[in-house]
Amino acid sequence: MEAILANADWGVIVILLPLTGGIVCFLWPAVSKTAGLITVAAVVLAVAGLGRQIMEHGAYRHTVGGWGAPLGIDLFADGLSLFMLIMTALVGLGISCYAKSYFNPRDAVWFWPVWLFLLAALNALFLAADIFNLYVTLELTGLAAVTLTALTGRIDALSSAMRYLLAMLAGSLAYLLGVALLYHDSGSVDIATLAQRIEPNATVWAALGLMSAGLALKTALFPLSFWLPPAHASAPAPVSALLSALVVKASFYILLRLWLELFADFAEGVSTLLGLLGAAAILWGSLQALRQTRIKLLVAYSTVAQIGYLFLVYPLASASSGLAAGIAAYLAFSHALAKSAMFLAAGNLMRFGGHDRIADLDRAVQRLPLTVSAFALAGVSIMGLPPSGGFTGKWLLLDAAMSQGRWDLAAVMIIGGLLAAGYIFKVLGYAFMQAKEPHDARAVPAGMEWAALLLAVGSILLGLMASEIFALIHPDLVANAGGAVERVWTA
Amino acid sequence: MDVIVVLEWAFDAVLGLGLLWLAWRTLNSPDLFKAIVLFISFGLLMALAWVRLNAPDIALAEAAIGAGLTGALLLAALARLRTTTDNTMPAQLPAGSWFQRGLLIVLLSGSAAGLGYAVWILPSHTSGLSMAVTANLDVSGARNPVTAVLLNFRGYDTMLEMIVLLLAVLGIWSLGGLPPRPERPAVAVLDTFSRFLIPVFILAAAYLLWVGADAPGGAFQAGSVLGAAGVLLLLSGWRPGVRLMQWPLRLALTIGAITFIILGVLTLLYEQQLLAYPVAQAGRMIILLESLATVSIAVTLAILFLGESPDPEEKK
Repeated sequence: MEAILANADWGVIVILLPLTGGIVCFLWPAVSKTAGLITVAAVVLAVAGLGRQIMEHGAYRHTVGGWGAPLGIDLFADGLSLFMLIMTALVGLGISCYAKSYFNPRDAVWFWPVWLFLLAALNALFLAADIFNLYVTLELTGLAAVTLTALTGRIDALSSAMRYLLAMLAGSLAYLLGVALLYHDSGSVDIATLAQRIEPNATVWAALGLMSAGLALKTALFPLSFWLPPAHASAPAPVSALLSALVVKASFYILLRLWLELFADFAEGVSTLLGLLGAAAILWGSLQALRQTRIKLLVAYSTVAQIGYLFLVYPLASASSGLAAGIAAYLAFSHALAKSAMFLAAGNLMRFGGHDRIADLDRAVQRLPLTVSAFALAGVSIMGLPPSGGFTGKWLLLDAAMSQGRWDLAAVMIIGGLLAAGYIFKVLGYAFMQAKEPHDARAVPAGMEWAALLLAVGSILLGLMASEIFALIHPDLVANAGGAVERVWTA
Repeated sequence: MDVIVVLEWAFDAVLGLGLLWLAWRTLNSPDLFKAIVLFISFGLLMALAWVRLNAPDIALAEAAIGAGLTGALLLAALARLRTTTDNTMPAQLPAGSWFQRGLLIVLLSGSAAGLGYAVWILPSHTSGLSMAVTANLDVSGARNPVTAVLLNFRGYDTMLEMIVLLLAVLGIWSLGGLPPRPERPAVAVLDTFSRFLIPVFILAAAYLLWVGADAPGGAFQAGSVLGAAGVLLLLSGWRPGVRLMQWPLRLALTIGAITFIILGVLTLLYEQQLLAYPVAQAGRMIILLESLATVSIAVTLAILFLGESPDPEEKK
């Protein structure tokens, strides 16, 4: 038994499990809730198995079909991929526990298969080592995300899902055109092979521009973030949490991976531009969040701002890129935990009061203490207060900015933190007050409150486990693989 | 000889200009019906362009899916739109200020010029991976390099693509589907015509599927021809029975993906690699995968055209 567990091919299993689960949910709608929960729990265990293998033997590689790159497709996982897989599995489990009580039976029949396909697509994306395979997983992710956004069938959800779909397709097509150019230029779609062959010329620059623009659109980097607030705000709460916590991170991961492996050496000007847009996103997103009168829109604009922090690593990466990528992944994880907790808490408040107007929260803190605690704890991480994951990530980023003399970026980070405190305390303040016209409250299932609280606690715990996590993402882990894996993630 | 070169050049020039003109007219047309007809013509010309580029597999797929089924889907959507809304004209987009338009023109033409230059300096002929594909064709189980890539070398991508198709159906059904098409008495001409055509469609699909191992063709082309037969049946008034719309339909939609997953698990157990077919069995496995994928693709396309959710009482 021990030998089977140690030798099983967990990387392939984390892709096949949710695919199978999704098909089971589609074939037998009656069991979809149970099958969905079991599958997500099993994926967590499989990711743990993969993690153990990577810790012991170094980076994971699987040659699909036995052909090997560049003819076939390779699956690859190093510390960075593993970290993203852990993020997806844990946040996905929390949101699944919430969704179990959230959806009525009619919507649940559609939610579970589509969510499991989304999970499979995300896992496949984080394991991909091939830019065309990345495109396929990106398409699958986008299509599943749009389907989930439109799940309620309400007019605002439909129109924002349509806008989301068009933005996703535009982003995918730009990325695909870049893939075609790179393939024609270098004769391969395998990232490791490309890294050896790539030389800066006009074709590679065009590919870089197209792929970065397409992925920035999908990640909702300001000013390409126009589609995010309506889509994330009109979706059902668990879906908003999935979109904000995981789906935008997928395209960010691809961009990070491409930069680390392919583009970082010759495109410093573009990284400056990405950093500037990131800084603009922090300021604009935070100011917009501050202006909102509805919780879900506020949280959605906060996502636009927090994505900006992720892009600040590009201008800071040139000096210490391995560490910068680690900081980006760590920030992405802490944002995923905190933001999913916030959206789930917002969903509880909507279920409780029937609306999400901030000014009418009506003593929510007394009547829904767990939910408001979850919102507050997640807020601690979003604001970047110790001891949360958001604090550690932003502190490391601030440290990198100061040591490189980038006082402008440091100032933006601090202002962003202050503005975040402003919009989070705005919600918390109203949660303590009595509304002018008190209204009846509906009960919120305990499971939904606890799921939000546990994710929020996770975002705090992440800050306490920072050193273990950085050991996991550290480039040395990949180097342990020795001769088996030539590609070492140091960039 | 020179005359032929000049003729080919002239043909390509007319084709390229025609594509641009059709694309512009499609986007510019205020009448949605006209725009769809122009889009279908665009697809047909595009298929011709793929033929000129020596890519007959893509040409077949483009003609069947890009022009044929997408056109049918768009026309069906337009017919439904007309029953639910009374204005057939799309809302006029607000025209931006001169500054905005100028900025947009400068940005777009700048990007277009940059892209054009990047394509211009591309080496005119690179072998890419075609050498590697040819070298491994003998052990791939297919003699058509496109089939070998789709079903063997990059079969994993195709497995994920089957899920993309399934998600398209799930997306439409999750919205409650469309209201049932009004029952119309079958038109005698269409009815007789379908009776003759459907067997031909089935035969053509079977041929495309079988020939795919050696020549242009394969699951996607065969599936779209079979799907078109389904569309014709639906148009002539045939409806799948209620019992057929339950689990048999769901099984048909997923059978392609299920086969991929089962083969994936088996190869993982016996060959230690996902979708690594033993050389002796590769040909048979590819035919099995293609046949069942054809069923899924055909049913998916026909069901997308039908657009109705399987449970009418669950409408929102």
